[in-house]
Amino acid sequence: MWTIAAAGLLVLAAGVAPVAAHHGWSSYDSTREITLTGTIKEAGYEHPHGHVRLEVPGKVWSVVLAPPTRMEHRGLPASKLRVGAKATVVGYPHRSTEDEMRAERITIDGATVELR
Amino acid sequence: MTQAGPLGWLGWLETTTAATAMRQSLWLYPIVEILHIIGFVVLVGSAAMFDLRLLGRSRQLPVTGMERHLLTWARASVLLIVPTGGLMFVAHATEFAGNPAFRLKLVLLVAAALNAAAFHLRPFRRVAEWDQGARAPLAARCAAGISLALWAGVIACGRLLAYF
Repeated sequence: MWTIAAAGLLVLAAGVAPVAAHHGWSSYDSTREITLTGTIKEAGYEHPHGHVRLEVPGKVWSVVLAPPTRMEHRGLPASKLRVGAKATVVGYPHRSTEDEMRAERITIDGATVELR
Repeated sequence: MTQAGPLGWLGWLETTTAATAMRQSLWLYPIVEILHIIGFVVLVGSAAMFDLRLLGRSRQLPVTGMERHLLTWARASVLLIVPTGGLMFVAHATEFAGNPAFRLKLVLLVAAALNAAAFHLRPFRRVAEWDQGARAPLAARCAAGISLALWAGVIACGRLLAYF
């Protein structure tokens, strides 16, 4: 019984390829700092990390921000992270996921908030 | 539920009130995380202290007394761990379900539960023979070693799932 259960569980564990994205800093290439200015198309003020879809000329970037509690504490409440707002982000591109970056800081309405 | 199949089911979980609140309420997620940690500290701490006794530490303490005290708290802590774990799961159900560290964590959890059950069904039945001042039988010591390794693995996977 033990063996059958263990075998079944291992099959379950091995099954599906990873779909989750790691948002830790090490997944982003800190040697390639980029600055993007564009319009927020979607905004998620969500755990574990806030995020926006930022439309820049010719492209839409997925930008990973900081945990909502940190952004709130540093003066970026959900109300400022609104669709249609202009934003500038400075950060690093993901090592493997194209068009995804993690932002070191974000500027909205002239106010810059550090996200790390 | 709008779609059939497991992905539809996981996606639906993410739309529940609990999942939305976990993602969007400012403090709920960290509070739930903290309660989950407090819970598994009690569970794994109790299990580890009991395992060390089986492995021969503090032999003057009766195994039955330690089992009553420690494992009662270990079982109670599950009431804190499972609901908080469930809340974190539903917040990002599809992401978690495909995460290899999360899958391995579930496997190790089931193995730890089976190991504990096997211990109670076999060597612990005859605990009166080695309750105090004696070496526990090999089966009990094996169960203790396996338990320590499995719980360390569960904690490692729990932490590492944020990195996959």
